[in-house]
Amino acid sequence: MLSCGIDVGARTVKVVVLENGRIRGRAIRVAGLQVEDDVAAALKEAAAGEVRTIVATGSGREAVKEARQRPTGITCAARGIHFLLPEARMVIDVGAEEGRAIQCEGGRALNFAVNEKCAAGAGTFIETMSRTLEIAVDGFGPLALQSTKLVPMNAQCAVFAESEVVSLIHEKTPKQDIARAVCDAMAGRIGSMCRRLAITPPVALVGGVAKNTAFVRALENDLKTDLTIPPDAEYVSAIGAALIAAEEH
Amino acid sequence: MPKYKTGPLKCWNKAKELRQKYYEDYVSAPKSGALRIGGSAWAFSAVPEGLGDVRWLTGEPYGASCAFDRKFSLSCLEAAEKKGYARDLCAYMRNYWGSILIDQYAFGGGFPKPDFFWTSHICCSHAKWYQVAGELEGGTPCYAVDVSVGPYTQITPHGVAYVVGQLQDGIAWMEKLTKRRYDDARLIEAVITETEAMSLWAKICMLNRNVPAPLDEKTMYALYVFGVIMKHRPEVLALYRELHDEVKERVERGIAACANESKRLISDTQPPWGFLDVFRHMETYGAVSIGSLYTFGLAGMWDFPDGTMVPKATPRQLGQTPRTREEALEAIVRWTLCRPEYQHFYNPGLKTDLMMRIIRDWKVDGALLHYNRGCEGLSLGIAQNRMELAAAGVPVSVFEGNMGDEREFDHARTLERIDSFLETLGLRKVEV
Amino acid sequence: MDFETFRRHGRGRHDYARDWKKRTGGKVVGTFCTYVPEEILAAGGVLPVRILGSHEPADDAEPYVFGMFCPFSRDCISQAIRGRYDYLDGTVLAQTCLHIRNTFWSWQKVNPGRFHYYMCFPIKVQSPRAVDYATGEMRAFRAAFEKWLGRPLADAQIRDAIRVCDENRALLEEIYGLRKDPHPPLTGREAMEMVLAGQLMDKREHNQLLRQALAALRTRRLERDPGVRLMIVGSEDDDTEFIGTTEELGCTIVVDEHCTGTRYFLNRTPDDPDPMRALARRYVGKPPCPSRDWDARTRTDRTLQLARDYNVQGALLVQQKFCDPHELDIPAIKSTLERNGIPTLFLEFDVTIPFGQFRTRIEAFLEMIRAEALF
Repeated sequence: MLSCGIDVGARTVKVVVLENGRIRGRAIRVAGLQVEDDVAAALKEAAAGEVRTIVATGSGREAVKEARQRPTGITCAARGIHFLLPEARMVIDVGAEEGRAIQCEGGRALNFAVNEKCAAGAGTFIETMSRTLEIAVDGFGPLALQSTKLVPMNAQCAVFAESEVVSLIHEKTPKQDIARAVCDAMAGRIGSMCRRLAITPPVALVGGVAKNTAFVRALENDLKTDLTIPPDAEYVSAIGAALIAAEEH
Repeated sequence: MPKYKTGPLKCWNKAKELRQKYYEDYVSAPKSGALRIGGSAWAFSAVPEGLGDVRWLTGEPYGASCAFDRKFSLSCLEAAEKKGYARDLCAYMRNYWGSILIDQYAFGGGFPKPDFFWTSHICCSHAKWYQVAGELEGGTPCYAVDVSVGPYTQITPHGVAYVVGQLQDGIAWMEKLTKRRYDDARLIEAVITETEAMSLWAKICMLNRNVPAPLDEKTMYALYVFGVIMKHRPEVLALYRELHDEVKERVERGIAACANESKRLISDTQPPWGFLDVFRHMETYGAVSIGSLYTFGLAGMWDFPDGTMVPKATPRQLGQTPRTREEALEAIVRWTLCRPEYQHFYNPGLKTDLMMRIIRDWKVDGALLHYNRGCEGLSLGIAQNRMELAAAGVPVSVFEGNMGDEREFDHARTLERIDSFLETLGLRKVEV
Repeated sequence: MDFETFRRHGRGRHDYARDWKKRTGGKVVGTFCTYVPEEILAAGGVLPVRILGSHEPADDAEPYVFGMFCPFSRDCISQAIRGRYDYLDGTVLAQTCLHIRNTFWSWQKVNPGRFHYYMCFPIKVQSPRAVDYATGEMRAFRAAFEKWLGRPLADAQIRDAIRVCDENRALLEEIYGLRKDPHPPLTGREAMEMVLAGQLMDKREHNQLLRQALAALRTRRLERDPGVRLMIVGSEDDDTEFIGTTEELGCTIVVDEHCTGTRYFLNRTPDDPDPMRALARRYVGKPPCPSRDWDARTRTDRTLQLARDYNVQGALLVQQKFCDPHELDIPAIKSTLERNGIPTLFLEFDVTIPFGQFRTRIEAFLEMIRAEALF
């Protein structure tokens, strides 16, 4: 029996097809203006032809008309992480626009925190800063790791932080130190959001920003705990949705 | 098949008309020789009643009315910003100032200027709000009363004397300004009415302890407002009597506000007025907000015996009906200082304690706190409240928004967050 | 006399307080807001120190405070979390703006079980009833403090502390007065370091330093060109780095209207047979914070008067981000100053400051003033 989870996020559409509790197919597509088309294309790519039950999640989940249920990303991430990393008791998800921390147990979300308006856009901020510093997004983390100097940056507000980066550039601060300052500042923001909940290891980190090694290290230092980045981390919510779909049978 | 019977409130239209009349009466005041008074809804509104026929426009409910009309509100907010006022200031205040600046009243016509402002000051904005409003209007006189003399647990004689003294000075100030003679009998009557009305609102809130709740908070918003805008008026007392009887009857007949009530929540601080649909959205999960310290405690007055809360005994019930100006002022001061919504200004821990009383006695399953960027006064200590509620084992979630500036409210993301919270409570959306 | 001493005590504030404890055996109490009657604390042999931030990112404060509370209030909470003020035996708040009240309560979450006192100081200082009320609150504070100390205070001790504090205020005012000179003998940065040190040190020791400074300043001549004469107006401000860097751009800050500056010391304690009433009258009569400046608006004229007294050419209006009281005053102050020929530049402060951007704006502001001065 095939079941399918679709995570319609702000940037991408992710589809996971499960068969007897194992991933049979998956696909990721950039979400365009016609989300319905992207969903259809991703379904095709994931070979979801015979799927009986679909569950949709993510901020754009209403666009999936055939979904049997539409639970939120929080619920699905808690389910998904249980599949990928059953021992995890906390998931931190740092995406382009939103950061969130979820305390979980046995696939259920117990409590969660989402960043406030003033601390929004960690992923987007790092992207913007990599443009300002003229380095590739992929190179941002490795460059930051070369830094040996701590530059304090206030990052309660991304707009203010951006002015600080401009100031640092004018002061001829080395790029790697600025890159590190940006990663440290973002980690500080995400870390403080996590501390609204109790930090309960093992902690998994998912979301696009998990690919930034310097950010990961900074967040580990901030939270004083190791972070595990599971394989298929970007699919965690889609997997959770697919698991919920499987229950619907 | 719905779990409970539901039905509309019979006195709904009467309430709606009364509210409309309130805003119209303010405009037409000069025609009937009445005075127009502006100021906070937290003001000692019974006191100017001694001047004779006075009509009120209270700033916060007016700002909320503006916010309800998002397009109008935006033009107000932008006008205030253009004048140099920061975007993070109180959203009600900016809506109010904006109305002066664009000279438009949210209920039609030009903005009606008051004869004077009479307000109370407890947050950092109240007195300054009308100081600026007066300046924008070209010099409307303003008298503000400082009520920040400590929590209900520590009311001191010198604190009461300070507030009463300011009211006495205020009466002299009003007499001089308006050249009217002050009638103590009218003051006494207004004080008695106010205490009766506020105690009665608390009594109505008590009925919401019932499962299923006869009232949901979205409906309560439309009704509590009378205990704020005209709490000292006999027509409000009459409306609340009628409402009380009707709600009591709903309880007896098992009529619910939400047909599928399965989890009972409380909120906190003012809601984002332009987006009250979030409350209806929660009901699709079977979650109903049965009130908040805000709706219970702004229009209602309470006593707090033994870890619980009950409608406050009025001076009349205590056999202490005031007979002189001095007695009336002292009675209303002592009464007002117990306002639940004042307590966190001195200690957020007191607010957590009051919220916990509601959570216990109203059988509440979780709390949804509005981190309200539009009101730092009621948001003061809210992070501490969140921590303390969580530590007490209450499921609690927050959403960020603004009661009166729609630009600071992310509707889709808020619904997403509420959905997540309701899912952690084990609820599922009833898919239709 | 070396102004470095003030700077050293300011920067090493925690070392100073710990050392003071060791050598005197006394207690140290942190104060929030300039309305706390330091005299009562000092009369009990306690060192009052004003709690200030450290201008480092304050992310750790997040769980205690909502995002739109001011950076100063967050920075202070962060100090408690980091244990920087662990030596404090207590804190006192004189009822002030909401953001600092939030900090006071968060502080107790981090440091429970010490002497934490919330004093209900009147907000309507313009009311003729305020002095009576403040007197009552002074008495209540004194009683609570005596109970904590375990001994009563004699009125004579309080009068003595008043005398010491008033001497401190008089010395500060006198030194500030020297800045009216066309060639001020001290920079704005030095003045700020001096006045801040007084809020962190034993007043008797500070007085001694001030007396030495005053004597030295009478003959001191700075080599630098004072450049444009500026005043700085607004929120709590202890950012000496900002002042120093600004002054390197060709200007001198000759006076301030900050609660860390003139609003802290510009008035004395009137004679009164009751020392509690005397204190009430002094604090009620103090130059007000914007949150207390009503029904009448007086800060506009006071600020203008300072600008005139110190022959100011321009004003920096600085505000802690999200500070409502100042946001409520700045438009009026701006228009009052500008109407009277004093240009203004508005700067919004956060815990740390992007000086690069500020520099461009301040330089442009100074160029504009210089160009104006040519004609």
